Amino acid sequence: MPPEALRAVDVRKVYHGRGSPDVEALRGVSLALRRGERIALLGRNGAGKTTFLRIASTLLIPTSGLIEVFGHDVVNAPETVRPLIAVVPQEGKPFFHLTPREQVYCYLRARGLPREEAKARTEASLEKMGLEDVADRLSVTLSGGQKQRAMVATVLATEAPLLFLDEPTIGLDPFARRAVWDVLRDLTRKGCTVLLTTHYLDEAEALSERLYIVEEGAILFEGTAERAKRQIGGTLRVSIENGGNHREQFASFGQSVEEGNALHVITEPERVHEIMDVALREHLSATVGPVTLEEAFLTIVGRSIDAE
Amino acid sequence: MAFGLRWGGTGVFLATEIRVQFHEWLAIVTGTLTPGALLIFVAVLAPQLIAVTLIGSLVYSMFLIGQRVRIDHKLNELYHASPLSPEAYFVGIAGGMLVAYLPPSLFVLAILEILHPLSILAWLVLAACLLAVWAVSSTIGYVVSTLFKDMKTIWPYSALLTNLFGIVPPVFYPIRFVPTEWRSVVLLLPTSGAAVLVNGVAGLETISGNEAILAAAALALESVVMFVFGIYWARRMARER
Repeated sequence: MPPEALRAVDVRKVYHGRGSPDVEALRGVSLALRRGERIALLGRNGAGKTTFLRIASTLLIPTSGLIEVFGHDVVNAPETVRPLIAVVPQEGKPFFHLTPREQVYCYLRARGLPREEAKARTEASLEKMGLEDVADRLSVTLSGGQKQRAMVATVLATEAPLLFLDEPTIGLDPFARRAVWDVLRDLTRKGCTVLLTTHYLDEAEALSERLYIVEEGAILFEGTAERAKRQIGGTLRVSIENGGNHREQFASFGQSVEEGNALHVITEPERVHEIMDVALREHLSATVGPVTLEEAFLTIVGRSIDAE
Repeated sequence: MAFGLRWGGTGVFLATEIRVQFHEWLAIVTGTLTPGALLIFVAVLAPQLIAVTLIGSLVYSMFLIGQRVRIDHKLNELYHASPLSPEAYFVGIAGGMLVAYLPPSLFVLAILEILHPLSILAWLVLAACLLAVWAVSSTIGYVVSTLFKDMKTIWPYSALLTNLFGIVPPVFYPIRFVPTEWRSVVLLLPTSGAAVLVNGVAGLETISGNEAILAAAALALESVVMFVFGIYWARRMARER
């Protein structure tokens, strides 16, 4: 058995429009997920994340390239791949006329699980997702967040070796999001591998061991969240109130960005006291905080946009 | 595994679909019995046509139920990226509709049996014709619904198809009202072909042997071709290009 749960080599996808220009959604994406890893795929809307997930989950045929799931080619052997995967589709909705309990149980049964095991996993999954109170209500009567939790509960209950989650926590409150994180951590401890997309960068940072940033169908960055943050020229952000008029004085300390009246300077810890000295001299107040993944993401993707 | 088809999980998914349908029992009952409302008009205006209308309402309801197929693309993805085969998925959806259709139809059948008892042959022809209409209609409903991302946009197309196949041709009325030059055309349609065949075998209207053969052959061919196409389409949907 190969060490990778997923291996993608130079995957390209071109959508041929009818009467509209072709769209190159993926431009040679290569990546690999080791067994038991949690990986986040980040990118702007339309960057190609969902296209990649749909190809990897056998739902879409790539124009060229290779994707293997546990060593099986997703294009030539989808029947072998499908029992090994489960997918939370983006903005997925459960059967409106099934209850969450029926939805999870029926899906597990359709995947071939025996009755008793399906029942036990259904109850466990509903409990983990905090759906016990609404487990017997038709999904059509549930709130958006409850429906999303029902979808996530359905897929996580499969404990499939490789899970694809396309924005699984969209619309969930912070408690429900953390419940999903806990279940995903638990599943990877058991040996499952997780590939998720998300626009919540705190989620990507809290959950993923590595992340890939995709822009216009190509991978811009691969590595840990810490590495992404280091790429932008520092690990600390000094925010100087009303610092916009003093930009030149701070320019030498690192990359600076104006936001409203504040000037943010990205720098290394050893230079913070110099910035603070300048701020004090100019009677400006300043605060220091760590660089966030969001800032790193904006910088990495922004550089790519500027380069174009 | 003939032709690479895999049927594992069909029964379980069929049970899921039946559950879904029976949670919507009121929609099924009203959907199936609505054509029965015509019976009131027919009973008042042309009581001699009531048996024809009852058979028509069975055929129409069977066609209508197929047009109620609503595929949510995201649910498609959930199931297609799983061990359940696309063909089992399609047959489960179509089968769920068929099972849900049966209880209210039994009510219509009971009225028909009281007003115009059918021979065993007529019962067999009725059952075969309804199954053929189911095969055609559920495929049309499934294929049409996969063409739209939003379920709401399907509704006008469903209504259009239901009227074109169920109201315009002689489903609720005898074929003798159709101009001679149009008779062959309406016999080729699955709904009117089925209704005319059953009416003919039940002795409710007169059709020639050639017309019966034409209607039966067309219906048999359409049902087989359409059902095979439904399976092909489901497999295609599971592997978009």
